[in-house]
Amino acid sequence: MPAEASPSAPVEVRLKDLRPTTTPVEFVARVVACERREVTRKSDGSRRAVLSGLLSDGTATVRFSWWDPPREGIERGVVLRAVGADVREFRGRPEVTFGWKTRVGPASPAELPRVDGEEIPFRTVRELRAGDEGFRIELRIVRIAPKGVTVGSERRVVHEGLLADRTGAIALTAWSDFGLKQGEAVRIAGAYVRAFRNRPQLVLDERSTVVRVDGADLPEPGALLAAAPRTIAEVEDEGGGEAVAVEGIVVGLLPPSGIVFRCPTCHRSVRSGICRVHGQVDGQPDLRARIVLDDGTGALTVNANRPDTERLWGVTLEEAQARLRSQPDPSVLEEQMLESLLGRRLRVRGTGTSDDFGVTIAPESIERVDIDLDAAAQELSTRLEERG
Amino acid sequence: MSLREPAWRVTARELESSLEEQKGEGERPTTYLLSPFGARMSRVLLAGSLSPAESIGRDEAQAFWRARLSDPTGAIAVTAGSFQPRAMAQLRSATAPRPAVVVGKAHLFRGRDGVGYVSVRAEGVRSVPESEERAMLAEILRQTVDRLDLLERVEKEPALTEEAVRKDGIPLVWFRAAHAALARYPNVDRPAFRRELRSAVRRVAGESGPTRATLPTPSSVTVTRAPPPHPAAPPPSAAERAEESLFLDQLDEVADVSADGYADLREVLARVSAHGLAGDRAEAILNRLEEEGVVEEPIVGKLRRG
Repeated sequence: MPAEASPSAPVEVRLKDLRPTTTPVEFVARVVACERREVTRKSDGSRRAVLSGLLSDGTATVRFSWWDPPREGIERGVVLRAVGADVREFRGRPEVTFGWKTRVGPASPAELPRVDGEEIPFRTVRELRAGDEGFRIELRIVRIAPKGVTVGSERRVVHEGLLADRTGAIALTAWSDFGLKQGEAVRIAGAYVRAFRNRPQLVLDERSTVVRVDGADLPEPGALLAAAPRTIAEVEDEGGGEAVAVEGIVVGLLPPSGIVFRCPTCHRSVRSGICRVHGQVDGQPDLRARIVLDDGTGALTVNANRPDTERLWGVTLEEAQARLRSQPDPSVLEEQMLESLLGRRLRVRGTGTSDDFGVTIAPESIERVDIDLDAAAQELSTRLEERG
Repeated sequence: MSLREPAWRVTARELESSLEEQKGEGERPTTYLLSPFGARMSRVLLAGSLSPAESIGRDEAQAFWRARLSDPTGAIAVTAGSFQPRAMAQLRSATAPRPAVVVGKAHLFRGRDGVGYVSVRAEGVRSVPESEERAMLAEILRQTVDRLDLLERVEKEPALTEEAVRKDGIPLVWFRAAHAALARYPNVDRPAFRRELRSAVRRVAGESGPTRATLPTPSSVTVTRAPPPHPAAPPPSAAERAEESLFLDQLDEVADVSADGYADLREVLARVSAHGLAGDRAEAILNRLEEEGVVEEPIVGKLRRG
């Protein structure tokens, strides 16, 4: 198909090879997302329609803007051939613009580049960064579960889970049902990585392909969930992580710990009877502890939910409410909680996310740990005998 | 990112011997206390026996309390003021020495004579069962030995890089602290410190120390109508009385010649040790004298007759 290209003729490219240039390009891609807007021109106040969204050809996804799009509208999922599109750069990523010079017409999905082609590079979990796409990866499904979500006005089912290879673990969101089952080993192509609370997350949609593989060199799901604790310094260094395990001593509590009131609809905490989203609500009491866990190499926050807090503290929500009635000062409650937790050794597993204040873990499990004093003494004396 | 300072696991001995400070970076730099054994501390965690607290505040509105935390290696002052209300309440709640875990900020006070005194400004204090105190001591000793091993490694391999230690799972802050410790304390008797730690390990195994659990059960019980203030401690023997009077004599001599009328704790300890009363024993005597009200320590490191 590449005929003798005259200097002005557009060059057919794949989206992964797009570079900002002055030469118009030609490509085939599918509309992944689009939204129609009207822009008011500053000069004369007239309005001009623009369709913007995401295009993907399986090798990459780019933003597009289509000035004066067809009046009948463009459906998500349609495959287009664009000839003479402009490429520019926005925030370090290429973007395409369809103007009056661009010819855009329907194309067949068969014209899209093959996604599972041999030329697409393999990646490992450790190498993935938010914004990555156009790679293949082999992973073990550590766990997976469907979840109903509301997208705009639409109800959809996403499959959320955790995937792992030898280099690490990554969270998964699949917008289509690939029939994924826990323990399976899969080769995924056509997925992309986005950042969720500063952590990379692998996203699969209808363009992605999943092939079962034997995965002999992938870790077993159980191995990941039972991995030995790591130092908090390491976890801080990596900005959190999936299925993180740490062990440390409780050195403090952060506010708000104790009784909090939550919106009955969205479970956000309610301040003076007002939910950030739902306004005036009747807050439901809940118990929580924001534990500062420290292992001598670093410190992080563990957000314990009601069952964990009740178990660690040994006081139920009802008992805490009764105490609050007889002593109406929430800080006394927090103090009592700290008194029973300070100095305790805990092993925590969960998802670690990071922000300006360090790493926070949303725990899946919190266990108290007792150490064997005789064994510890034995080990210490051996180590101290060796030298000195 | 302004990360929370980790709580360095240290023994009282290590904290007492930390007399070098290092300023951190940033807009409001933290001051770190640098130990000879590779700790660069803002926050510390200690475990030991915590004595009842005494008020050292000058006026009612500015309450300030101090207790002594003794572990098998030494003792350190633990203070709390009205800015640490919880810790202060915890310090005040005890009437007898009890096993405790303390988390707080290491604080170095330099007197006019340039002598440094380290104390811990408590953030959290909790009385714990004796088994928990021993478990914490085990952790403190383990991390202390880890740091000593790292110091020796850094000394032997000056070309050791941050990348290499990171691969071994050693925290970067430890590595930097080790370098700083070697630079600031070039001549430190680490083998002697290891020997002290070795004897402290016996406490982890529960072998030493007059703990309530290990005291033999007496065959007969004497009931006293008015219980002595410290029922757990046996009355001092003649030898201990002699040691006490030696201590008090030296204290008086030091106080007589000092400008402010107080006896410097270090000087007293140095003098009594010259008379054959060494570290741990002298600390024990001092604790007893303080409990009996014979001696006071109104300023950290400064003694006077009660």
